Amino acid sequence: MDLTPRTSGDAASPAKKKRKWAPIAFIVVALIAGGVVVTQFLTTAIDYYCNVDEVGSREGCTDDRRVRVQGIVEQYSVKSVDGSTEFSMTFNAKKISVKYLGDPGGVFQECIPVVAHGRVVNGVLESDRIEVKHSNQYVEKNETRLDEANNEAAACSVSEG
Amino acid sequence: MNSAVASPRGTGTRNTRILGILTIASMAFLALLGLVFSAEDRDQGSSVRIMYVHVPSIWVAYIAFGMTAACSAIYLSSRNRSLIWDRFAGAAGEIGVLFVAVSLVTGSLWGRLSWGTYWVWDARLTSTAFLFITYLGYLAVRRLGGTHRQRARRSAVLALLAILEIPLVHFSVRLWRSLHQEATVATGGTDVHMDGLMLFSLFFGLISFTLLFLWLVIHRQRSLALEDAMENRGLDAAIEARREEAVS
Repeated sequence: MDLTPRTSGDAASPAKKKRKWAPIAFIVVALIAGGVVVTQFLTTAIDYYCNVDEVGSREGCTDDRRVRVQGIVEQYSVKSVDGSTEFSMTFNAKKISVKYLGDPGGVFQECIPVVAHGRVVNGVLESDRIEVKHSNQYVEKNETRLDEANNEAAACSVSEG
Repeated sequence: MNSAVASPRGTGTRNTRILGILTIASMAFLALLGLVFSAEDRDQGSSVRIMYVHVPSIWVAYIAFGMTAACSAIYLSSRNRSLIWDRFAGAAGEIGVLFVAVSLVTGSLWGRLSWGTYWVWDARLTSTAFLFITYLGYLAVRRLGGTHRQRARRSAVLALLAILEIPLVHFSVRLWRSLHQEATVATGGTDVHMDGLMLFSLFFGLISFTLLFLWLVIHRQRSLALEDAMENRGLDAAIEARREEAVS
């Protein structure tokens, strides 16, 4: 705050109001940022989000475009071949083979829901990005539950959703 | 200049100190629950412990933005238009923004560990980022200048519009196919998909973070009141205070 004593002339003619540019600039930046966020969301949405059983049948889930395919990693299907990961994804009793270059990361494992981005070529989803979708179930890890977990794992390719 | 605003020596009172001690104690116990007592998740392992910060953070942000809207509505609808409602709205807005940021950062770290990526332009993540930017804009609007009443009126209108985003964020996982999980606890039924101590830790986290929010919002409202008072006193009061300092 400016503590310089005022002259009588200042008191008679009030000082010009200073416009606060910083908040205005900040609002402009916020508007641009909001636009970028919405644009990115819409751009990503161009990759259709399909379930495995919709590939090739639902509009937008055809072979000629990039898709995001959601399904459950089939038990005993995961193989590492020459630095790439191959597995099958299932959903509503339909299956698709997936080939991903590299290690998917996250908590990727059998019987877990995943979303694979890529193109379907000759019936195989050639994926360049895999996201692991954890369920909304939280189960404490302890030894007494091992049997229960194994039973669930065995049933994973049957009950999915 | 200090003595001009130093008549109240701080923003604390006996009650807020008790609240502060309670908050710190509950936070310490939450840290113990989250890091030591609660078990790892069967699928996610230790990364599940991020949940005890991530979920309470967005919970507090929802409460904060709800409070901002409620106080704004009260300000606009009340006959005397007391500025205390505007200051509570502003204080809650600032704290809400802080906690959305915490939620975005912790969510991103959790996403890297469980999904395998820090960020996806997913409906839940995108709508939360948009919420964050909206309330940053709200805070900027509060600082545009003008009288306190002008500030209160324009920011109150914006707060009432911005609150409409909350249902969009919360239900985004149902409205769109999303990588983000659906609700575990607030399922709308009695079916809770979380084991005992994990659930207890999560609820304890919600209580602890709510206490922290209350503590922060009370102090921030008081400091905003001091800022307003300082502006009201103006230059002449500050010069007068300087003169008094020089004499004493």
